[in-house]
Amino acid sequence: MDGARPPARVGIGLRAPHYAQLAQRRPPLAFLEAHSENFFGGGLAPAWLERMRALYPVSLHGVGLSLGSCDSLDERHLARLAGLVRRFEPLFVSEHLSWSSFGGRHVNDLLPLPFSEEAVAHVAARIGAVQDRLGREILVENVSAYVRLEPTAMPEWEFVAEVVRRAGCKLLLDVNNVWVNAMNHGFDPADFLVAIDPASVAEIHLAGHERADGLLVDTHAAPVAREVWDLYARTVERIGPRPTLIEWDADIPPLDVLLAEAGRAEAIVA
Amino acid sequence: MSAHPLARAQERFLARLLEPDAPRDTRLAVYHRTTMAARMGALAAAYPVVQRLVGGAFFEEAARVHAAATPSRSGDLHDYGARFPGFIAAYAPAAALAYLPEVARLEWAVHESRHAADGEPFDFAALARVAPDELAGVAIVLRPAVRLLSSSHPVLAIWEANQEGRDGTPERTHGAQRVIVRRVDHEVRPIEADSASWLLLGILGAGGTLGDAMEALAHGDGPLDAALGRLAALEVLGGFMSPRRA
Repeated sequence: MDGARPPARVGIGLRAPHYAQLAQRRPPLAFLEAHSENFFGGGLAPAWLERMRALYPVSLHGVGLSLGSCDSLDERHLARLAGLVRRFEPLFVSEHLSWSSFGGRHVNDLLPLPFSEEAVAHVAARIGAVQDRLGREILVENVSAYVRLEPTAMPEWEFVAEVVRRAGCKLLLDVNNVWVNAMNHGFDPADFLVAIDPASVAEIHLAGHERADGLLVDTHAAPVAREVWDLYARTVERIGPRPTLIEWDADIPPLDVLLAEAGRAEAIVA
Repeated sequence: MSAHPLARAQERFLARLLEPDAPRDTRLAVYHRTTMAARMGALAAAYPVVQRLVGGAFFEEAARVHAAATPSRSGDLHDYGARFPGFIAAYAPAAALAYLPEVARLEWAVHESRHAADGEPFDFAALARVAPDELAGVAIVLRPAVRLLSSSHPVLAIWEANQEGRDGTPERTHGAQRVIVRRVDHEVRPIEADSASWLLLGILGAGGTLGDAMEALAHGDGPLDAALGRLAALEVLGGFMSPRRA
């Protein structure tokens, strides 16, 4: 970063429609976050990521590792992730505190774990195995959920905090997911925030949700909602500033729309 | 039957989610929708030519039927869709379009090629350093992005005619085609194979040696070095193993 501008804390999700413009315009962003699975192969995608990596720090965000699943960890998936980590030396490596497969069948979506002691122990051990395999600390993200799985013995925030503590990993705090879950399951988002150890939070995510059938659905296809901006400001006030990401993964808008969202986050976090 | 509550909860939840019909429960339905959208999106991304040939509505229905019956087996959605050509071949509404499953096979080969690992390039200079009496034992591997496909339909002509900016009219409508799918400068560029290249690729792809290739080409397909040169120019050859290196 040059001296004229304070260092940015906010990044955006890296999506193919923006590659060329990012390379050309080089807007002031703290980092770019790439979905790991989009770069598992060879060819054009990793070639672009290499160009982006020369311009910005890059973080890798996985959606397919199925961390909480009772299936064994997918060694092929892990090997490909490890290859990416070696090649791109990412700022962060993150995955979701969820599961997405059973008996070898995948839904390619993020399913909630039951908030049980058994699930804490299971997923914490798996996170440990992934950290050992990658040779570095990872971040896990709290997910949006539309159902609660049984047997649930504790509130979500206790589950999340305990997994992170026991696994010795960091938390990627998705503020939109906290809001979506608070609305869909009827709790006060402040309860979630106060239960989280500030020192465990390495990154924050912000994204848009939409309303459907009386539920808030975490679509990543809309601007960040006003209530989520407010909750973000309260989060920063409580835990301090953290590298923050604007995610927009479907119906991807022009780059300037994302940069405007990033600017808004920057104004709060700076 | 799973012994632990967590495994039991996952088994049951996934079974409910993966039922072919959308669940009536609106909360469960969110997951069903996302799962189906992910699979159908993966099919649409891998099969743009099939989609153009049959039209959007027809394709969407076919994709929906296939996605509902075919689970994903990977956490990477790029792996989803390998079984779609076989599905199309047995899909009654598409029965009149005999070439359609073949075009789908070509599209899957193109999709695999696009995402394949980079692999090492062919090193002519290194091959020139191999002792003459060892050349016959050399085995050249094909680049990871190479796929070979032979069809009784002119699949490549149909594929090319349905790329962006083309009006959909193929240069040929009948006759078999043998296609080499390969990647050049990160772009997948399938090409029709001449008979010597096809023969040589078949041998190398099966792990055969240059000795095997020389023997096969001696039956009238021209000298080996010319055929090898053509394949090298097509950027389909990767590293090689000589008896000494191995």
